Amino acid sequence: MLDLLHELESGMSEGWEAASKAELKSAEQTRRSISRFTRAMSIAALLLLFFNSSQLVTYVNGFEVGPVQDTVVALSTTWNEQMAKNHLDKPFRTVRDFVSRLRATSWEEVGAHVDAAQHGDSARLLRGMLHDEAKDARS
Amino acid sequence: MLFPTLEFGVFFLIVFTVSWALRWVPLSRKIFLVAASYFFYGWWDWRFTALLFFTTVVNYLGGLLIGMTGNQATRKLIVGVTVAVDLVVLGFFKYYGFFLTSLDSLLTGIGLHRDLPFMEVILPIGISFFTFQGISYVVDVYRGHIGAEKSLLDVMLFKSFFPQLVAGPIVRAADFIPQLHQTPRLTREHLGVGTVLILTGLLKKMVIANYLATELVDPVFFDPTASGALDLLIGVYGYAVQIYCDFSGYSDIAIGVAALLGYRFLENFNQPYRASSLQDFWRRWHISLSTWLRDYLYIPLGGNRGGEAKTYRNLFLTMFLGGVWHGAAWTFVIWGTLHGAMLAVERVLRRGLEELAPAQTEAGGLLTMLGNGASHILGVIWTFHFVCLAWIFFRADSLASAINYIAGFGDFVTPRQYATPFLVGLIAVTMIFQFTPRHLGRWLAQGVKQLPSPLLGLLLGSGLWLIWALAPEGVAPFIYFQF
Repeated sequence: MLDLLHELESGMSEGWEAASKAELKSAEQTRRSISRFTRAMSIAALLLLFFNSSQLVTYVNGFEVGPVQDTVVALSTTWNEQMAKNHLDKPFRTVRDFVSRLRATSWEEVGAHVDAAQHGDSARLLRGMLHDEAKDARS
Repeated sequence: MLFPTLEFGVFFLIVFTVSWALRWVPLSRKIFLVAASYFFYGWWDWRFTALLFFTTVVNYLGGLLIGMTGNQATRKLIVGVTVAVDLVVLGFFKYYGFFLTSLDSLLTGIGLHRDLPFMEVILPIGISFFTFQGISYVVDVYRGHIGAEKSLLDVMLFKSFFPQLVAGPIVRAADFIPQLHQTPRLTREHLGVGTVLILTGLLKKMVIANYLATELVDPVFFDPTASGALDLLIGVYGYAVQIYCDFSGYSDIAIGVAALLGYRFLENFNQPYRASSLQDFWRRWHISLSTWLRDYLYIPLGGNRGGEAKTYRNLFLTMFLGGVWHGAAWTFVIWGTLHGAMLAVERVLRRGLEELAPAQTEAGGLLTMLGNGASHILGVIWTFHFVCLAWIFFRADSLASAINYIAGFGDFVTPRQYATPFLVGLIAVTMIFQFTPRHLGRWLAQGVKQLPSPLLGLLLGSGLWLIWALAPEGVAPFIYFQF
């Protein structure tokens, strides 16, 4: 019994420090990672608040009617209007317009682009003239 | 609560902050995570949280009793009863309506019409996933793969942990419960993996899957007779990509969210459309379900231990039941049957080929290399198209609709309406990513983990912003929520 106790004690004295150091290191690493990701999430939330404020309005419009909810809706709408006034919604609209153009692209336009690329007509291609020509041809 | 919504963003922010603040008190952290998971589940319909709790208690008690009993016959009886309770609950919610409708048709057909007790049964979201997890827990305890868990809280967290609760991946107790016994850790690797998986998952779901669903797949499958061969062909390719992006997108987000909370889930998809055989496909598609079916259905049925005929029967039955698991409809039955039958045929052919031309152990010449390369490419093309054919049954609203869809491949008269360059481009880009190096995501995560927090925040914020800007309006539910 005493041997067993001694073994246990010596095992603890040898491993205690090492285990404790590893645990401390791991705990410190976890603490740093939590702060790091909390900061990252805060930055991400701020970015979205400034550049995607319309989404906030869509979200709060789903709230039920009530004094608190109405205030939140009013605040969000005002915030969104301010962002739009300062043109912070422009990048969002630019991307959406670009996607809309992509979605509306027809096979004829793709064909015209491919032809232009093959015939070295890159100047007209870059100016978007082929896009208009293909549209005219379709209409 | 859907992952790609602001509600989930707020929910996750709270869960992340509070759960890590409680990391020094494991019991409180677990209680908080269980409460958060039940809240997440109750967001759809709070009444079903009671069902989740009931099945958890049944599995917990089953595991505990199996662990306490030494008698093999008693252990067998307990595992049988516990699994039966799980299956009865699943069967009632999932197949009650289908069973009564089929019985009604049968009785009417033979002139014995009766008024059957029809009722509207709402399918609890994610029931199949948490039932499978419960079954795997008691069977693993019975098999001695894991010890019976003494803490009800741990079993509750294992079954209800919100990232995987409603659409998988199906987490095994042997993988997850030991993590609950350790001090939770969050490392730079967790942050890198979590960020990359959440962003790629959202991109797959919100942009690719949603555009393909609304602008191609839904209209083409709604009335296949109104579309020509080209639209139907692109439509089924589109569905193959849509379901992959939808489901693997969900899995990616779930794995990423779990990583940010300090838990590790196994991979659920591994570039499935690069598979060169159906067997290979099932090693890459919904890996947590296919391994579950292998371990808890195929092997208990006898696996490949009872001779050739029994192996084919077991393969067929496993896939057939896998099909039925997806839903109570003949289309799913055919989907499972097709896969089961083709797996058996593949096995026969492989055996025959091995006998005719045994595999060479020595490195072959140029001709052998070219031959192997060509057969691999042919295998990929064949497997993809077979999987697409089966997807038609999986997606179609009815058997008649699926047959109309296939018949439509002969219609070269109806002009193309839906296959636009944008949608074909989305399909092509996704297919290209099936053939990129396997560890591309891991390399990205390696890069992300080095970023200082302001850059990580910029990446996360601009990534989310861009996905929102690219995605169509509205959020469609994930396909696998219905299973």
